[in-house]
Amino acid sequence: MHELRLSGVTRTFGDRRALEDVTFTVRPGRVTGFIGANGAGKTTAMRIVVGVLAPDAGTVTWGDRPVTRADRRRFGYMPEERGLYPKMPVLEQLVYLGRVHGLRTGLARERAEALLERLALAERAGDLLQSLSLGNQQRVQVAAALVHDPTALVLDEPFSGLDPLAVDAMAELLQEHAAGGVPVLFSSHQLELVERICDDVVIIDHGRVVAAGSAQEVRAAHTGRRLRLRVEVPGGSGTPVAMGPEPLTGVPGVVGVRADGERLLVDLTDDADDQAVLTAAQRAGTVREFAPVVPTLAQIFREVVR
Amino acid sequence: MSDAAPVVPVAAPDAPADREDGLTALGAVRVVAGREIRVKLRDKAFLATTAFLLLLVAVATVVPVLLSQQVPDLRVAVQGAAAEQVVGLAADLGRQAQEDDDVPPVTALLEPAGLPAADIELVVLEPEADVERLVRDEDVAAAVVGESLDDLRVLGREAVPAEVDVLVVAASGQLQVAAAAEAAGLSREDVAALIAPTAPQTVVLDARPTGSVPPELLVLLFAFLFYLSVLTFGMSIAQSVVEEKQSRVVELLVAALPVRWLLAGKVVGNTVMAVGQIVVIVSAGLLGAWLMGRGEVVGQLLAASGWFVLFFLLGFVMLACLWAAAGALASRVEDLNATTVVMQVLVVVPFFAAIFAIEPGPVQRILSYVPFTAPLLMPARIVLGNAEPWEPVVAALVVLGTGIAFIALGVRLYRNAVLHTASRLHARQAWRGGER
Repeated sequence: MHELRLSGVTRTFGDRRALEDVTFTVRPGRVTGFIGANGAGKTTAMRIVVGVLAPDAGTVTWGDRPVTRADRRRFGYMPEERGLYPKMPVLEQLVYLGRVHGLRTGLARERAEALLERLALAERAGDLLQSLSLGNQQRVQVAAALVHDPTALVLDEPFSGLDPLAVDAMAELLQEHAAGGVPVLFSSHQLELVERICDDVVIIDHGRVVAAGSAQEVRAAHTGRRLRLRVEVPGGSGTPVAMGPEPLTGVPGVVGVRADGERLLVDLTDDADDQAVLTAAQRAGTVREFAPVVPTLAQIFREVVR
Repeated sequence: MSDAAPVVPVAAPDAPADREDGLTALGAVRVVAGREIRVKLRDKAFLATTAFLLLLVAVATVVPVLLSQQVPDLRVAVQGAAAEQVVGLAADLGRQAQEDDDVPPVTALLEPAGLPAADIELVVLEPEADVERLVRDEDVAAAVVGESLDDLRVLGREAVPAEVDVLVVAASGQLQVAAAAEAAGLSREDVAALIAPTAPQTVVLDARPTGSVPPELLVLLFAFLFYLSVLTFGMSIAQSVVEEKQSRVVELLVAALPVRWLLAGKVVGNTVMAVGQIVVIVSAGLLGAWLMGRGEVVGQLLAASGWFVLFFLLGFVMLACLWAAAGALASRVEDLNATTVVMQVLVVVPFFAAIFAIEPGPVQRILSYVPFTAPLLMPARIVLGNAEPWEPVVAALVVLGTGIAFIALGVRLYRNAVLHTASRLHARQAWRGGER
């Protein structure tokens, strides 16, 4: 399997710049979470990956060459706005979509039937899509993205509208495909979910990639620049009280200090020496806690997107 | 815009790379067209329209024949020698009329010429029988009473059946003429010449190539079929496009197929169904005419329908991509009426123009070259027999050329509009490129 890579992708709509020099890689065998606020450019980027939109500049490569229409035909895609033919029987439309993606009729039917079986929809195969419940329609949509045994998966908000059990099933499905060597890219607002199932993360804000890499790398890149301290100083009545931020504000490399309950959160520049902060704290009081903050993706997201 | 150059610099859609997965342009068009056809075959409105048109054709071909073949069976009571003689001859005349009358044209039903066909059965009565009672009881359709030719009475209950009346009058006339002629000493041949004179032979110097169906009627029929078909199938293309837009499935399709393959599949599928429907209807008409033993009409129709089907195909394809574009401009089915109004005008106005130009003349000649009316009027001129052999070829090329330009226009509008799902577009916006 190949890796899917966006390089310098830029796209404007009218005078609004939706994507600005977007570069990231979706690696084979890994689940990549694509996170960003509404309107950050996730959908535009995904549409460019599957070829529904053309970029103004930049390229999408598949392995070591620009992606072709034939490559894309083998990608599995779930658009943000869900949709299949409402008045077409479930099995028939999966077979049709399989054929559109280049499968021969026999194989398309075989795979569609197997997928419906797995999604517990086999007995609804002959029913019109519109007669299914919304949850079951979602499952058919998943089947539509998988029917042609895709070489890459591009899923726009695959978890939206799913109940907790369906979320688990979907997560399992993504990881299973990744384990088969397929690059999987999905977007989501649900940061805890991304945290749980992603190997790689891409954070996009106002059309720019602000963080990309493995989840660990991204966390590491945002770790160490923030410290959490609990320092006690003698209070007025003799009992110790939590120290305020003032003693640490002047320490070289400290860009911000704020109180978080009894603790202090200290933000440092990249080249700051955390031991200087410790020394300053010890000089001011008794250090009870001193630790680098390992942020959750949610925290990193809120921070970088702020 | 989806398959624009920047993203796919190495492979044009039909580069060898496409065959890796076994899907060629032709294959893709066939897959898309196949779905259109399957959907159409399940569409109740389509099936109902086809059934209705077939019924119409059946009525038009079978009913006149049945009507003209309806020969009444009439029992006529006779009392007296002269009565028996006259009714016997009347029965012969009625039988003869059946043989001559080899299915008259439709118009002949309205103004019958010659003697009516009838099966007259003689019921010979004894002199003492009560004729009036028989007639009153409706045991017989009528009765003829009388011992001599100049003293015959025809009895009916409420009325004497028209066939009996006419045939008896004719028979009695012939017998009286024959009797008078014989009394005057004329030979058998002279008598025959007198009672069955030889009619003059009619020679038409500049005959129009007509069968027994009036050509104007045929032209109207063809024009109506074209109009109906283009309107319903055009609408169906537009509907199919907006359905994919509204349900958002188009985004999945466009991710897999170049937009123009998708469009080609739609147009091909609907064209196959439209031409198929026309061929079925025309064939049903031909078959009906043939079964009813009207061979001359089959030849006449066959000659005209070849050109008709060709012009139908060209005229349909000419507009098909524009119908697709009209569908793509809408974002919901409810918008279709607004976005297809231009197309409806492009079909309805030429239809009425063609009907008003049914009389041969300069207007008809000019309109038969205008791309919108040519598919209606050029086959019409062929049927009416006032087109030079080269004229349909030129008109066909004009329609074809216009068709190519319209296809290019339709493809561009469709491509730019089909992914614009948010709101209704105007053609001008779509022409510039439907930016979102």
